[in-house]
Amino acid sequence: MSFANVVRRRLILLVFVVFGVSLVTFAISHMIPGDPARMMAGERASNEVVAHMRAVLGLDKPLAVQYLAYLRHLAQGDLGISILTQRPVLDDLVLFFPATIELAVAALLFAILLGVPLGVLSAIAKDRAVDQVTRTLSVTGISTPAFWLGLLLIYLFYGRLGIFPGSGRIDGPPPLHLTGFYTLDAALTGNWPALASALAHLFLPALTLGFVHLGIVTRQIRSAMLEVLQEDYVRTAKASGLSRAQIVLDHALRNALIPSVTMIGLAFGDLLYGAVLTETVFAWPGMGNYVVQSIAALDFPAIMGFTVVASTAYVLVNLAVDLTYMFLDPQIRAVG
Amino acid sequence: MAALANWISALGAASAALFVSAAMAPPAGATDRDTLVIGKSGDPDNLDPAVTVTNNSWTATYPAYERLVRFKVVDGKGSTNVEGELAKSWEASPDGKTYTFTLVDGHKFADGSPVDAAAVKFSFERVLKIKKGPYSIFEQIGAIDVVDPHTVRFTLKEPFAPFLSALVDDAGSIVDPNVMKHETNGDMGQAYLADHTMGSGAFEVTHWEKGQQIAMAPNPHYAGAKPAFKSVVIKIVKEASARRLQLEKGDLDIAEDIPIDQLKALKGEKGIKIVDEPSFQVTYLYLNNTHKPLDQVKVRQALSYAIDYKGIIDGILLGQAEQMRGAIPDGMWGHDPSVMQYSYDPQKAKALLAEAGVKNVKLGYLYAKTDPTWEPLGLVVQQALGAVGIKVDLQEFAYPTMRSKLNEGDFDIAVGNWTPDYADPSMFMNFWFDSKLKGLPGDRAFYSNPKVDELIRKATATVDQGERTKLYQEAQRIAVAEAPYILLYQRNYQFAMRDNVKGYVYNPMLLQIWNIASMSKE
Repeated sequence: MSFANVVRRRLILLVFVVFGVSLVTFAISHMIPGDPARMMAGERASNEVVAHMRAVLGLDKPLAVQYLAYLRHLAQGDLGISILTQRPVLDDLVLFFPATIELAVAALLFAILLGVPLGVLSAIAKDRAVDQVTRTLSVTGISTPAFWLGLLLIYLFYGRLGIFPGSGRIDGPPPLHLTGFYTLDAALTGNWPALASALAHLFLPALTLGFVHLGIVTRQIRSAMLEVLQEDYVRTAKASGLSRAQIVLDHALRNALIPSVTMIGLAFGDLLYGAVLTETVFAWPGMGNYVVQSIAALDFPAIMGFTVVASTAYVLVNLAVDLTYMFLDPQIRAVG
Repeated sequence: MAALANWISALGAASAALFVSAAMAPPAGATDRDTLVIGKSGDPDNLDPAVTVTNNSWTATYPAYERLVRFKVVDGKGSTNVEGELAKSWEASPDGKTYTFTLVDGHKFADGSPVDAAAVKFSFERVLKIKKGPYSIFEQIGAIDVVDPHTVRFTLKEPFAPFLSALVDDAGSIVDPNVMKHETNGDMGQAYLADHTMGSGAFEVTHWEKGQQIAMAPNPHYAGAKPAFKSVVIKIVKEASARRLQLEKGDLDIAEDIPIDQLKALKGEKGIKIVDEPSFQVTYLYLNNTHKPLDQVKVRQALSYAIDYKGIIDGILLGQAEQMRGAIPDGMWGHDPSVMQYSYDPQKAKALLAEAGVKNVKLGYLYAKTDPTWEPLGLVVQQALGAVGIKVDLQEFAYPTMRSKLNEGDFDIAVGNWTPDYADPSMFMNFWFDSKLKGLPGDRAFYSNPKVDELIRKATATVDQGERTKLYQEAQRIAVAEAPYILLYQRNYQFAMRDNVKGYVYNPMLLQIWNIASMSKE
């Protein structure tokens, strides 16, 4: 099957996924007791004001009618008004989503760029000192709570050494808004002081969030490499006199990467959801905080908006994973 | 596949280089003398005075607007008496239904347009038309008339004695009528004012990076003395230890919402001072007066005697609170130092329960994790009531669910905090005990006593403060004796700041609000 076919099929599937997710989220968030109208009117508001607010929000209509109205607005790209911030949900998402994606991408890059070489090294030096150290590191990574590591890093690099900032995304004014990713926007507009500041702010949170996944990537690559290195074609390559580096990097690694791609794709989903603690510790203004705050306040337009956008992102990441698969493995490309 | 290996190593080298260069960029050091940096734990929700009801937003809005009246500062201390701000003088009619204000000259909004009677009328009508959270504070207003550009008259639906105190609330902020130029879909400028300010206060919000910081700069047309700060930055730092660390490093001048144990550690540290003042924030337990056996006065009294108040204050709040005496807190006018206060007396509690003839009682304690003290408090209550033979189940819910259970009276015992919107005893007496306000609006114990209703309603309709004090004291004696609530404690308000910050005036009615116009740094 061609790339185009896969993409087309997935995009059609996306519509159904979003529909399903919105239905379930809508049902759950409207069935939980708690009165958003009172939240908006103020806790001490009289019942009359709350009733007025309920009518304004359309909460006095039957659930099915409310859901259809939501879908109609959704189709027009209108996610409604947040009860908590009283701003359009879309504006809030546009504001906070890029921060989370930027952090997740940086964390993933860190995990891959360090994790793949470490995994390879660990596999070819199986049971030797390098392998022991790497495995210890990856177990530590997997079992270290992010908030604890984050606080430790802040204490050390900001508090003691003073070489990294302690919180936020940037010092001074942010770069011109193009994509919402500060590093990218700063680079695209040639705003070098902003780029330096954005990168400095990104470093510790990305390290914190990436550390857990570093452990996962390292272990995954290591075990995949160990398996691949037993294969016949590796022995053939050895017999035909290829250098060790050529065998490991060109023959073994490429095949070991295939199963790892799925895992890394799923890890990206995890990163999106798992960023909450890291975001809190570093005052990183991302989705995590926004969602937790929305759930606590039962701010259902915001909860719905996030769910719809996040599930879309998840489907797209999976699509990207599959396309990468096809790119890496000609067999899959042929079969589809 | 050498390409892949090359690609990986090239990318690795590039990103390493970027991170190293980033690491060499100097982090922000101590802040400038003409900049004040305030570290907060949460981002404001909305900056529109007709919409927001959270003190967290008022940090930014309060200094950006002026109001008809303000709290007097007496000997460097904030009081709960009012004096004119935009109003030069005022006159109340003998029946307490009309208030006529004469405005001062020369006050201007940040865009240079004058603050006049029309702007005052516009601002209050805006709150009433938008009908969101702040509406209830001014719902007694019947009509507002512009007598002349300097005179404005309010006619109330009924006499409402706390009216002047209510004008100090953030919702009483006078908004530039030019906001209507930003109106979309008939929202009276709500979308615009959600993240802008248009007032005549000393500062205006110049920029808000949501979730990160709010930047404020002096309003060039401000009529008062020129502020010392050229810039005020409100930084959002969610994690308490990170806030503390930034204060210690000098990146923050003020850090609010520091947990009690961390404040203790900060105390005595060089360059840092702790502000620690009694506040009007009280914590109390609602006893559902309609549930058996809590409908019996003796049972409710027994519960009030079963609680170890001092133990709670010392154990949970590390001593940073004071046991309540009556419903009107200490420091608020109308507080009665002679009203009966329950003390820890388990024997008396047992005796009262025996007199009431109840046994094998099981009660639920409703709480949420919104306030970190509510759970430990529940454990203490469980233990204390267990000691007098009442079994308590802790029932935790998400706050929105807890809120709706409170409103419907679906609980036995529930915990809550209360802070007054305006400096008037009615915020406690009328809200807590008026049987018309059952549920969340105020009477959360579902208490009902016609005599108390009569006294407190009369008190809000009376203008004379001495007369009102008497009425409230009489009502309070009855209500305290009938123990619809367990009155726990009045918390201290605390935050930490650098010791070179001068001129802060604490006012228990203005928590999380700093008088940035008259503060400075050495």
